[in-house]
Amino acid sequence: MIKSVLIFNTQGKPRLTKFYQQIDVEVEQAILKEIHSLVARRPAQACNFLEGSKLLGGADTRIIYRNYATLYFVFVVDSSESELGILDLIQVFVETLDRCFENVCELDLIFHFEEVNYILSEIITGGMVLETNINEIIQAIRDSNRLMKANSANGGADDRSRWV
Amino acid sequence: MSMRGLTVFIADLRKCRIHELEEKRINKEMANIRAQFKRYQKKKYVCKLLYMYILGWDIDFGHAEAVSLISSDKFSEKQMGYLAITLLLTENSELIRLVINSLRKDLDSQNELFNCLALHAIANTGGREMAETLAREVQKLLISPMSKGFVKKKAALCLLRLFRKHSDVLPAVEWAERILPIMDDPDVGVVTSAASLITALAQQYPQQYAMCVPKAIRKLQWLVMESNFPSDYIYYKVPAPWLQVKLLRLLQYYPIPDDEALRQRILDILHCIIQNSREIPRNVQHANALHAILFETINLVIHFGCEPDLLAQAAALLGRFIASKETNVRYLGLETMAHLAGALDNPEPIRRHQELILASLRDRDVSVRRRGLDLLYSMCDVSNSRAIVRELLRYLPMADFALREEMVLKIAILTEKFATEYQWYVDTIIKLLSTAGDQVGEEIWHRLIQIVLGNEGLQEYAARVVLSGLRAPHCPENALKVGAYVLGEFGHLIANEPGCSPMDQFKSLHARFSTAPLATKVMLLTTYLKFVNLFPEIKEPCLRVFERYRYALDVELQQRACEYYHIVNRDTDELLQTVCEEMPPYPARESSLVSRLQRQYLDTEDKRTWVVGGKEANLELKSQDAHSAQAHALAAGTAITNATLAAAAQASAPGPARTAEVNLLNLDEDLSHLNPGEGGSVTGPDGAPEPVRGAGHVKLLTAGQGVLYEDDTIQLGVKSEYHGYQGRLVIYTGNQTGDVLTSFAITVHGVPHVKATTVQAAPTLIQPFAQAPYLVNLECHGAFDVPPHIHVTFGKGGTSGSTAAPVSLHIQLPVSIAKFIEPFSMAATDFFQRWRQLSVNKRESQAVFSAREPFQPEPVRALLRSTGLALLTDADPNPNNFVGVGILVTTSEKVGCLLRLEPSKEHQMYRITVRTTNENFSEILRHHVEDMVNQIEG
Repeated sequence: MIKSVLIFNTQGKPRLTKFYQQIDVEVEQAILKEIHSLVARRPAQACNFLEGSKLLGGADTRIIYRNYATLYFVFVVDSSESELGILDLIQVFVETLDRCFENVCELDLIFHFEEVNYILSEIITGGMVLETNINEIIQAIRDSNRLMKANSANGGADDRSRWV
Repeated sequence: MSMRGLTVFIADLRKCRIHELEEKRINKEMANIRAQFKRYQKKKYVCKLLYMYILGWDIDFGHAEAVSLISSDKFSEKQMGYLAITLLLTENSELIRLVINSLRKDLDSQNELFNCLALHAIANTGGREMAETLAREVQKLLISPMSKGFVKKKAALCLLRLFRKHSDVLPAVEWAERILPIMDDPDVGVVTSAASLITALAQQYPQQYAMCVPKAIRKLQWLVMESNFPSDYIYYKVPAPWLQVKLLRLLQYYPIPDDEALRQRILDILHCIIQNSREIPRNVQHANALHAILFETINLVIHFGCEPDLLAQAAALLGRFIASKETNVRYLGLETMAHLAGALDNPEPIRRHQELILASLRDRDVSVRRRGLDLLYSMCDVSNSRAIVRELLRYLPMADFALREEMVLKIAILTEKFATEYQWYVDTIIKLLSTAGDQVGEEIWHRLIQIVLGNEGLQEYAARVVLSGLRAPHCPENALKVGAYVLGEFGHLIANEPGCSPMDQFKSLHARFSTAPLATKVMLLTTYLKFVNLFPEIKEPCLRVFERYRYALDVELQQRACEYYHIVNRDTDELLQTVCEEMPPYPARESSLVSRLQRQYLDTEDKRTWVVGGKEANLELKSQDAHSAQAHALAAGTAITNATLAAAAQASAPGPARTAEVNLLNLDEDLSHLNPGEGGSVTGPDGAPEPVRGAGHVKLLTAGQGVLYEDDTIQLGVKSEYHGYQGRLVIYTGNQTGDVLTSFAITVHGVPHVKATTVQAAPTLIQPFAQAPYLVNLECHGAFDVPPHIHVTFGKGGTSGSTAAPVSLHIQLPVSIAKFIEPFSMAATDFFQRWRQLSVNKRESQAVFSAREPFQPEPVRALLRSTGLALLTDADPNPNNFVGVGILVTTSEKVGCLLRLEPSKEHQMYRITVRTTNENFSEILRHHVEDMVNQIEG
C-alpha cells in the first residue's frame, strides 16, 4: 500500500501532501521535514530507496523518490509494493503532469495545486494504484473538465479550460 | 466563477520570504474567509484553505462549508468539496456522518463521474460507518454489468479499502464468486484494480479465492507470451508491467498449483520472463520496468522453491545483480538474495558471493549497506558464522549511527545461534560490548549473564575475559556491568591466578567506580558485598567504600551502602552468607533478542511473503500464517448449518471411517431437496466448500460412462478409462439453458496419492445448449479413500443482462481405489494358499454388516466383477461365497488383493474379508466394496 505521496522542492517547501492514512497535521509536517532531510542529502548516484519513515509506521516502510529539476517526488510505501514499480509510477505521474500542463514546472504545481490533486486521484485511490496508462488518466481528467465546463456554461468561463 | 482571488493570494504568499510574514498573510486571509464564508464563493475559499493546508497550516474551520459543497449540483463545486474532505477530514471526524447521505446519493447517481468522486472519497476516508452502510452499493457498482471500466476499477479499490479497515462487516466469502470473474475483464485497468482487491481477499480466505490462481496465470500468459496486447498499456515497450508485477505477487500467496498443466504453464511463463530479460536495455524506464518484473519473478521462483533449474537461474541472476553498477539493482539484488537465503536448502549459490556481500557493507549508499546487513544476517550458518560475525564486528565502529543498534542486535543473535564453543560466544559478546559501547541494549548483556550462569564450564573463562576487559583503556558502561556481575559471582574461580588476586579484581573494578553512572555504582556495591563474602582478606577496602557512601546524596546508593555496611559488621557471617548465596542458573528460555527484532505488521497492509532472517524465520512465518488462515476459515464458517455441524462432528470423531462414509451418503440425499439452481456446494467444517457426490456418482463407480451431475443449468457427463495406474476422464459439460455460460472454468484438485492433471481445459464460454469436453488424467500413487474433485464456476446470462449469482460447484469425481485394480486369474487351489500367506501383519481387514436387500447372487457377482477383481468360481468350499483376485497398480508398486465375501441368507448379513500385500490398502478396499454392496438395489 502507498501510505503517502509528497512533492516538495529542494528547499523542502511542500507542493503536494497526500496521506492515505489518518494523521494529524503536525505529524504530517514532521514527516515531511524528516523525509526532506533524508532525501535532500543523498548523492545523485545513490539508489532511489530509503528505509523509513519511522513516523509513518514500522521498519517495513520504504521511501521511494525521484528528483526532477527542483522537485522531489516521494512515495512512502509498505513492503507489499514493488520498489521499481513505484519508480515507474512516479514516472507515469510526472509524464501525465507534463502532458496536462505542457512542460510542467514548479509554478504549475503551485498555482494549480487542486488540479495536481485531481490528476493524482486518477492514478492512486485509497493508497492503491488505480491506473498506469497515461492516455486513460488524461481521458478521465478531460471527461471531468468537460462536465465542469458544461456546468459552468452559464456561470462564466472557468480558467481550467486552458489545457482541455 | 473567477478564481482570480486565489491566484493573487498564492502570489502574495510566494512573496513572503520569511515565516512571520507568511503567518501574517495567512491570518489576514483566514479572518477574511471567516467573515465572507457564509455569503458566496464557497468554492474559492475552500480552495484557499486547501492551499494553506498544503503549506502545513492547521485548518480548524471551513469543514462544514466543504461538506456542503459536496451536495452542490455543480460538478466543479462538488469536486472541490470532495477534494477538501479527503484532505481535511479524518475517518473519526464528526462531519463524516453528514457526508454519508451525499455519498449514497452520488453512488446511486446516473452520472458516472459522480459515482467516481464518491468512490474516491470513500476509498480515502472510509471508516466503519461507511463500511457498514455503503459497502453494498460499492460492491454493486463493481459487479454490475452496466458499470463502465473506469467506475469498476475505482469500486474495486474502494472495496479493498473498506475490507482492509473493517473486514468483519463485509461478506467477503459470499462475494468470491462474483468478484473473481472480474479478473477475466478485457480492460487491463479493471484487472489491475481487481488483482489488488483479490490479493487482499486471498490472504484472508485463501481457499475461497483459490480460483484466482488459474485466472492470474492465464492473464500472465497473455501479457508475457502473446502479442495481441492493447498498445495503450505498453509502458516503454513492456506490456502492463504493473499488472505483471501484481499477478506475480498474487501467486506468491499460494503454493505452486498441483494441477500439472497449470503448473507447467506458470513454469513456462517464468522461464520466458527470465529469457526475455537476457539483455537489459539502455533506456532507464524500460530497464526499470523489466527489472521490476524480473525481481518479482525471482521472488515467485523462490516461493515455489521446487524447480531446481529455475532456482539456479534465479540465483545466477541475483549474483549478477549484486555486482551491478546500478545502485537500485544492487539494492534489490541484495534484498531478494536474502529471500533466497531463507528458502534454499543448500546455501552454496549464495555463499559463492560471500566476499561481494561482505563488501556491500562498505557500499557508498546507506540503503545498500542496510540490505547487505540483512542478507548477511539471513545467510549466516554454523559454517560461515565466524567469518561473518568477525566482519560485522570490524565494520561496526564505522557503521552509520542509525544502523548500529540493529547491527549489534544481529551480531548478538548470530553469535548465540551459531556458537559451537562457548569461549567464542563470550569473546564476541565482550568484544561487542566494548566496541559498540552505548549502542548495546540492556538485553544483550542480560543474555550474556544468563548464559554464563547456566554453563558451569564457561564461568571461569568468562571471569578471566571480563577482568582483562576491565583493564583495557576504554571500558563502556555495559562492559563494566558485566564485569561487576561476573566477578561478583565467579571471581573466586580465578583468584589463584597471577594478576587475578582478590585485591587485583577489586582494584580493577574500583578504578571505574568514580566515573560510573549511578545504576552501575549500585551494582558495584553489590559486587563488593559478594567480595567480602568470598574473600575475607579484602574486607577492609570494601568496608571503607560502604562507609563512605553511607552519606551519599543519592538515596538508592545511600541505602545500599548502609545496609551492606551493617550486614558486613554483624557478629556472625550467617546473614552475609545467606544473602550472597550463588545465583541459581536461569530457567532455559527463548532469547529475548529475537523477539525484539521481530516486527509487527499493521493490519491494513498485505502480509509479507517472506522475512529477513534465513530459513528458520521463514518457516515460523509460514506456520503463523497457517494458524491465522485457520482462524479466519473458522470465523467464516460460523453460518454453517446443523447438518454440516453434525458432519463435522462425525468426521472428527475417532471412530471408524465408516461413519463418515454413511454421512456423506446422507448429504447426498439432502442435496436432492435443495434447489438444484443453488449449486451443489456445502460448506465444510473449516468454512471451505466441501465437494459433494453428484447423483450419478455411485453408478459411475462401477460403470464406465454416465451422467454425474445435473441441474437446471448444466449437466456433467463422465466417460472414463483406466489402464494400470493411469486413468483418463472426459467430463462433458452441457449448457442446459438458452443463455451463454460466461467465465466458465473447471479446475481439478487431486488428493494425497492421486495426482490429477488437466489435459484439455474447458472453454471460457459455453453457448446455449452446447456441450464442451474437459479432459483429466489421473495417476494413482498409493492408497486413498477420498476421491479427487473438480471445481466448476461460471456466470449465467449474457443476454438478459441480469446479475444472477455466479455458480460454484465442488463435485467429487467418481473415482475409487478399485478403479486401479486389474483382474488376475489364479488356479482355484492356489487361492487359499496365498490367502493364508497374507494372514499376518495386519494385512487383513474384516467386517460384518447387514444387507439392505435380501441376498441375490447375480447383482453381487456383477458388482464384484465391476470392481476389477477376477472371481474364482470353484475356489471356496461354500458355493455361496465369493472370492476375487486382482492386482492394484500404483506408480510405485503392484499390490495383490484377495477378497472373500460370505453372505448369510437367513440373517441377511455379510462377512467381508480383504487381504492385500500392502496393509495400507486392505481397509480402504474393504470399505469400498462394503459400501458398494450396500448400494445394491433389489
